[in-house]
Amino acid sequence: MSEEIKSIQRSGTRAPRKPKKSQIPYGIALVIVIILIGVALSYKSGNLAMFWIFGIGFGFVLQKSRFCFTASFRDPWITGSTSITKAVLIAFAITTIGFTAIKYGAFVNGLPIPGMNYVVPISFATVVGGILFGTGMVIAGGCASGTLMRVGEGFMMQMLALVFFIVGSLLGAYHFGFWKINFISNGPKVFMPDYFGWFGAVVIQFLIIGCIYVAADLWQKKKMGA
Amino acid sequence: MKEYTIDCLGEACPVPLMKTEKKINSIEVGDVLIVQIDHSCAMKNVPEWARTQGYNVEIDEVADGEWEVVIEKTK
Repeated sequence: MSEEIKSIQRSGTRAPRKPKKSQIPYGIALVIVIILIGVALSYKSGNLAMFWIFGIGFGFVLQKSRFCFTASFRDPWITGSTSITKAVLIAFAITTIGFTAIKYGAFVNGLPIPGMNYVVPISFATVVGGILFGTGMVIAGGCASGTLMRVGEGFMMQMLALVFFIVGSLLGAYHFGFWKINFISNGPKVFMPDYFGWFGAVVIQFLIIGCIYVAADLWQKKKMGA
Repeated sequence: MKEYTIDCLGEACPVPLMKTEKKINSIEVGDVLIVQIDHSCAMKNVPEWARTQGYNVEIDEVADGEWEVVIEKTK
């Protein structure tokens, strides 16, 4: 970062600032409403209340940190900046520890390993889907979480994106069975602990994340010189 | 010293940055470029890009969710 202490001189023609309204009372009211809804949900089901709190917590962190999965894939190409890419990689590394703890915990206790239906076959469909999703998220200015977050911020264009995001998801869900039977289920399913053991899987995953991290760092140095 | 303004209100994330990159190449050293944005993502990548280029950058929140990124082309 440069050392910009002195303020940049601007011509005096700028419009007078609109007076800002304090949003703190609204914020306090919103927190109370969130808690009340959470309590109401917990009478119905404890899980529901937990989803509510986790969802809001995730959204809050996402908005405040300006974390953007789209930017993590797009900015390396547009500007050469990989700071968000590296943040996503660190997040992957941290969740690897958490997921391994949950899965291994269930495994040693002889319980069914949670989340195993998310181990899906790898096929050409993965590549095609990645290209489609990647193109879409750059045009729409946000992936799934980013779009939702910016709808909350009141960005109108992203509301349009959300409408078509829902339309597309519904269409996709409607004929997903066809694709699954004909294309997706032909691929191999890889659950790394089955092949390398639990410890080996974690080590390999960290090695892969580490390599991408180093590559991202070098990429930024090459493209931006910083 | 001249001052230029680009209006990126309503433009989603990569657009403000690309417009900024284009505009900054066409202005003289010492000129100031003001980018008006209201997309929170551009709030992060426009200043970050400009700072790594070595320009002076200031961010001004002109209204709730509306910012002006002031960039001085220093070199």
